[in-house]
Amino acid sequence: MRYTLQRLLLLLITLVLLSLFTFSLNYFFPGDVLTNMTGIRAIDANQYASVALERDINASFPQQYITYLGHILSGQWGQSLITQEDVFQTMTPLLGASLELIVLTMLLSMLLGAPLGIYAALTEGGSFDRIITGLGLSSYSIPVFWLAQMLILFFAVKLGIAPISGQINPLYDVPVTSGAVLIDIWLNDYPYPYAALLDALNHLWLPIIVLSIMPMTMLIRITRGAVLDVLRQNYIRAARARGLKGSTILTRHVLPNAMQQVVGQLGLLFSLLMSNIIIVEVIFNWPGIGSWLVKSIYERDYPILQAGVLVFATLILLVNVAVELFHAWRYPQVRKELYAE
Amino acid sequence: MNILDIRNLTIELDTSAGPVKVIDKLSLQLAEGEIHTLVGESGSGKSLLAKAILGFINPRWKITADRLWWRHYDLLGLNPAQRRIVTGRDMAMIFQNPGSYLDPNHTIGEQLSEAIPSGELKGFYLRRRTDRKVRAERLLHRVGIKQAKEIMQRYPYEISEGLAQKISIAMAIAHSPKLLIADEPTTAMEPSTRAQIYRLLGKLSASQGMSILMITQDLTTMIPNSQRTSLVYCGQLMESGTTEQILNKPSHPYTQAMLEMSLLDQSVAPKSRLPTLSGAIPTLQNLPIGCRLGPRCPRARRACIQTPPTTRKKQHSFACHFPLSEDE
Repeated sequence: MRYTLQRLLLLLITLVLLSLFTFSLNYFFPGDVLTNMTGIRAIDANQYASVALERDINASFPQQYITYLGHILSGQWGQSLITQEDVFQTMTPLLGASLELIVLTMLLSMLLGAPLGIYAALTEGGSFDRIITGLGLSSYSIPVFWLAQMLILFFAVKLGIAPISGQINPLYDVPVTSGAVLIDIWLNDYPYPYAALLDALNHLWLPIIVLSIMPMTMLIRITRGAVLDVLRQNYIRAARARGLKGSTILTRHVLPNAMQQVVGQLGLLFSLLMSNIIIVEVIFNWPGIGSWLVKSIYERDYPILQAGVLVFATLILLVNVAVELFHAWRYPQVRKELYAE
Repeated sequence: MNILDIRNLTIELDTSAGPVKVIDKLSLQLAEGEIHTLVGESGSGKSLLAKAILGFINPRWKITADRLWWRHYDLLGLNPAQRRIVTGRDMAMIFQNPGSYLDPNHTIGEQLSEAIPSGELKGFYLRRRTDRKVRAERLLHRVGIKQAKEIMQRYPYEISEGLAQKISIAMAIAHSPKLLIADEPTTAMEPSTRAQIYRLLGKLSASQGMSILMITQDLTTMIPNSQRTSLVYCGQLMESGTTEQILNKPSHPYTQAMLEMSLLDQSVAPKSRLPTLSGAIPTLQNLPIGCRLGPRCPRARRACIQTPPTTRKKQHSFACHFPLSEDE
């Protein structure tokens, strides 16, 4: 309980610092502070005056910050400098599209990575183990932008079995509600669900594979190391000497203890995935937060830029804290290590 | 009849300074229902010997022996799976640092129930489960844990090392093994419980014919009705005999030194030096040749750079060039 409160408090403080940072960005960006903050230019005199009043732009910095925080929390994130669209409303479907990639990638890398790591550890020193660790190390060191383009060149250009980019063929005009195309097809009762679904999946698999290579190889290494570490523990050797069956030892004693170490690393894995997703979204022209953020940098669209930074950082923070809380809840002995005995 | 028969067991470890014989031609016999006390200072390889018997082996150790027999099984000839079945059924061990032998992710109750063999339980699933629980509780009571119900709910990180030691004793005797190897089983316990544990072990041996190989550091912590005693120094067997012989008529200088050190006769003058062997136990990399006690032995002479032959007289055996004769 104390641990949970501690973590949540830390999360709150980090979020406040984060918002303070994005707030200060408005002053550091070139141009008018209020324009940077809201996306409304001074030419539009009427609106500018009303927004200036609304944002307390002439008050002290702390007062300004509190007003800014209120706007952030109520979803009034201003409008884009380029398109004049509301930032928050543009953001939500993009977040859905990114989350679709993230969730599927995490699923794929966990479903493949953990079993491969376990198997490699159990056959330590064998040919499978060597191949897996060798492949893991080499694919871990391949930069993701190169890999993405090579896979596009091979599968999309040369073989022509996958589309080059995008989320779905424009022929299927699936209305965007959540942003995740698989969910949108189902939500909106699209007239040709199977054809659209197939097309969406065809667009999905390439970016997911590119994205999951790195977390998967990391997961293989972490799992392998964790299982090997647990196998060396005294309680496993004692269980063996007690004559327990190998499968019982594996499922009841080795895996729970190995997974404890693996779960602790998931937050790190997620952070890595988030930095990769920016690159992959740009390359695959995926309508997500990452490509949105990069585009806003090119276009000097400051309201969007700070929104993108805010969303990315918040997502990483939330997932990390959630992982930590789950870890401490599921494995009580972790809490003991956090405090003194 | 001997159920455990070890002849010239040698364990070699690979160290940076080349292979080292941590246990050098050690022989040990154990009869059914016998309590055998193995005495040796830390680093003498007694835990290693226990692990070698149990098959608790690191693949980097090189184990050779003329005989390593358990009843009619040649333990070195069995493959690991067969050996695990034999040792799992017939043997159990109480380990030195018991905390590390408990799975941190399971409660004490779960682990204790796992140690109870399912063959002895009858009835359907639910009945067997409650049966297991009752048995586990009874085991905890026997090793002197009063709040058994509460302890069973706890995780290993929530209990003290002394408690963990008692639990590992309970787990070891759960399937009433034929051979119990107790590796300093009471180091983390309070003296009153220590006596209780010794009584329990003595009783188990008497009532169930369980053989016990009791490993201790000195001659003071012994199970009261221990029949035989052996002393090991740096992996070499110094002396072995009935406990009475060892305590009253030692033949080996090392035995005598250990007896003096343990102050059993309480006749030390005030402010005098306590009796000890000079020097310290040599490290693995610098083991002396010949009799390994040589550099520290008060009776050592030139001949001691040769490994002394083992002299056997009925129940009694010792390895020394210049033993204490009876008239001395």
